[in-house]
Amino acid sequence: MSNPADLSMTEAADAVRTGAVTSVELLEACWRRMEAVNPVLNATIWTDREGAMAWALAADDAVRDKAKLGPLHGVPMMHKDMYYQAGKLSTCGSALRRDWRPTVTATVIERLAAAGAYTFGGLNMAEFAQNPTGHNKTFGDCHNPWNPPYITGGSSSGSGVSVAARFNYMALGSDTGGSIRLPASADGVTGLKPTQTRVSRYGVMPLSFTHDNVGPLTRTVKDCARVMTIIAGHDPRDPTSAREPVPDYEAALTGDIRGLRIGVPTNVFFDGADAPVVAAIEAALSVLQARGASVTRLTLPLMDAVAAYGGIVSRVEAATIHAEWMRSDPQAYGAHISGRMYPGYAIPAPYYVESLSRRGPILQAFAAEVFARVDVLVTPSIRTCLPTLEATDIDHGPPGTETKFMAISANTRPFNYLGLPAISVPCGFDPNGCPIGLQIAGRPFAEARVMKIADAYQRDTDFHTRRPPLIKD
Amino acid sequence: MSTFLAQTEAMIQTWHGVAAPNDPARRLTMELADTIAAFEKLRGTLVFEDEPASFEAALQAAKETGE
Repeated sequence: MSNPADLSMTEAADAVRTGAVTSVELLEACWRRMEAVNPVLNATIWTDREGAMAWALAADDAVRDKAKLGPLHGVPMMHKDMYYQAGKLSTCGSALRRDWRPTVTATVIERLAAAGAYTFGGLNMAEFAQNPTGHNKTFGDCHNPWNPPYITGGSSSGSGVSVAARFNYMALGSDTGGSIRLPASADGVTGLKPTQTRVSRYGVMPLSFTHDNVGPLTRTVKDCARVMTIIAGHDPRDPTSAREPVPDYEAALTGDIRGLRIGVPTNVFFDGADAPVVAAIEAALSVLQARGASVTRLTLPLMDAVAAYGGIVSRVEAATIHAEWMRSDPQAYGAHISGRMYPGYAIPAPYYVESLSRRGPILQAFAAEVFARVDVLVTPSIRTCLPTLEATDIDHGPPGTETKFMAISANTRPFNYLGLPAISVPCGFDPNGCPIGLQIAGRPFAEARVMKIADAYQRDTDFHTRRPPLIKD
Repeated sequence: MSTFLAQTEAMIQTWHGVAAPNDPARRLTMELADTIAAFEKLRGTLVFEDEPASFEAALQAAKETGE
């Protein structure tokens, strides 16, 4: 076998199950790779080799004992450092929680553990999940594995980077305005933001009560599907989680997308798009058409309302959650974090209530018009070539840096307000060697369809199998 | 300092006890004028029969059956 760190998550799990590789070998391979590349990338905040090795040894014992094995048995992984594990560090990427250890464990962590997975560290992230770039004042900026001066995408920066750099099989991220899809796009991996309410948020650091989502970043859509089958579904400890039945998402990946109707927006999502990005999306559409899907260009309704209302809700909710620290210790935040939260205190309550009360009717009107004509929407995940960390550094940059910073998430934010599932898969590279992402969004609870199309695309392309040049072994 | 910014900073201090932490905070506060303009532009353009309505109900109503 080649380097076990290069296996996809499902390949690694299946190899442990058949005895082709041990969990200890997986852990050691990931560890060696991490030691080789992470000094450049800075994707981790903490690691726990001793604890992970105990899990790996126990997992290998279970295989030898022919015990009943879960679908992720013996697979080591790390997650964005905001998924609580009782007694373990959970910094949330901030100096304010540098030494904080929660007393509860997130439901999604428990479900992954029940499936046989274990963790070996916590991943770098934007401070309190609040930027789209990968900057972090406290733990240091995370760097793009394809070209280190460039942004990684955020806020799940370490999640995207560790999976892309092949020292982590799967990482949970969180997505309030694009924080799973942006690093997936920027780092060349697969990332799914599920339908709002699809996955429990119990034991996960909150940012926006109404817009936060939990989801996976993986190397393949197949990996993503297996994780979703495990973590989706109602959780009594998160009353906002949906009671919608959870299908076998992996079984839905048939490659057959004949007759599916793809919509490509003619407004908003390509405004100011860079030519290499447009070319990559058009090439991806050709791949999907060759598999039997049809493509329709259409104008999306209500986008002004989605933008105006969506921007209100998350700002007000983040400002509310952080009010005590913003009063007592505002300088502990990066300037771009506290600076962005501050205006949230000036937004009038009627604006917030109007934004929330219209969310449902707008979703229904949008879905009725759009999904009568197409089954999914396809857009760039990020509509420009990636900027550098320096060009988007609000803390040290000139006035106007904020505009470049916020433009990064322009294509992902609308689907948070609408609550729709959306995935990003790699579909090319820009002239700087940084990945380009293809975003596919569907109806509420249509994760299976969205992943089926993304998987069909990966069957005919190899962008998701390429390794960053930083990896030398 | 503009009147809008001065008034907004004073209001935030009064209602929330939060002071502007840095220059980006002030610059982004000035951009609230764009937020107000966006809301003004929407006024009268959206009429929904069942407003306000549950977002969770809308998710269910908009989902596809039989997938």
